[in-house]
Amino acid sequence: MAELDAQIAAPARLKLMTTLTAVSEAEFATVRDALEVSDSVLSKHLAALEDAGYVRRRKGVHRGRRTTWIALTPRGRKALSAHVAALRELIRGVD
Amino acid sequence: MESEHDRPTAAEAADALTEAEASRTTLAHAITTPSWCFTSLGAAVAVQIGLAAVGFADGALLPVAAGLAVFAAVAGVQLARFRRRNGVWLGGFASRVVLGSAAPASVAYALALAAAIWAAAGEHWWLVALWSAAGGAGYALGGRRWLRTYRAEPAAHGRGESAAWLALVALAAVGGAVLLAAGA
Repeated sequence: MAELDAQIAAPARLKLMTTLTAVSEAEFATVRDALEVSDSVLSKHLAALEDAGYVRRRKGVHRGRRTTWIALTPRGRKALSAHVAALRELIRGVD
Repeated sequence: MESEHDRPTAAEAADALTEAEASRTTLAHAITTPSWCFTSLGAAVAVQIGLAAVGFADGALLPVAAGLAVFAAVAGVQLARFRRRNGVWLGGFASRVVLGSAAPASVAYALALAAAIWAAAGEHWWLVALWSAAGGAGYALGGRRWLRTYRAEPAAHGRGESAAWLALVALAAVGGAVLLAAGA
């Protein structure tokens, strides 16, 4: 059976990474609003996922103000695919 | 990896996946195009096809370059407006819609360009205008179609081709246009 990934085990992180698969890159506030979480909660999850090499953050500008742009890394996409496959196996009851 | 204690139940796993996918769908459906996006892109493509056909017929580079400049300006403005409006960068939108790499847009463009060049060679200018407009309309409709496809499957269609691949294709297109115009 495929292994679950501890870095993506929290539902909030699964939601964050899955949401990022819809775009190439997203601005911090856009992601925060999509997930309906606070700045601090999003920052905490992003820091953990960045340490794992699953997301990339860069400073940029949006609507004239400095902000952070977020994207999944290729490693993050691969880890998410494996984690989702493991979850689907779990749902199907495969051991 | 997680311990057995952390392992979710099947119901918890299903709930987490459903919620994550719902969040992605919500974001994808919230992404909209700027006003007049498809119309302006279609018009720019029509102008580019018309000027390219005239340039090839006359063996002149200037109309070909002018057409490419018009398209590049409109494409750049629409990409910037899209990013500003949505707070996201969508590679699929840039490549499939703006640069027309989606199959319907690229087929419509290639057919219209070939037909317009043929019409220009015979000095059928009304046909050049007609084929240019048809190419622009096909390009715009192809973009609209892609947006519907993206919203249905955002993870599969969001990223589009890599920037390096697009740069290579654009370079080949410009180089080909210059060679055709120079040889005409």
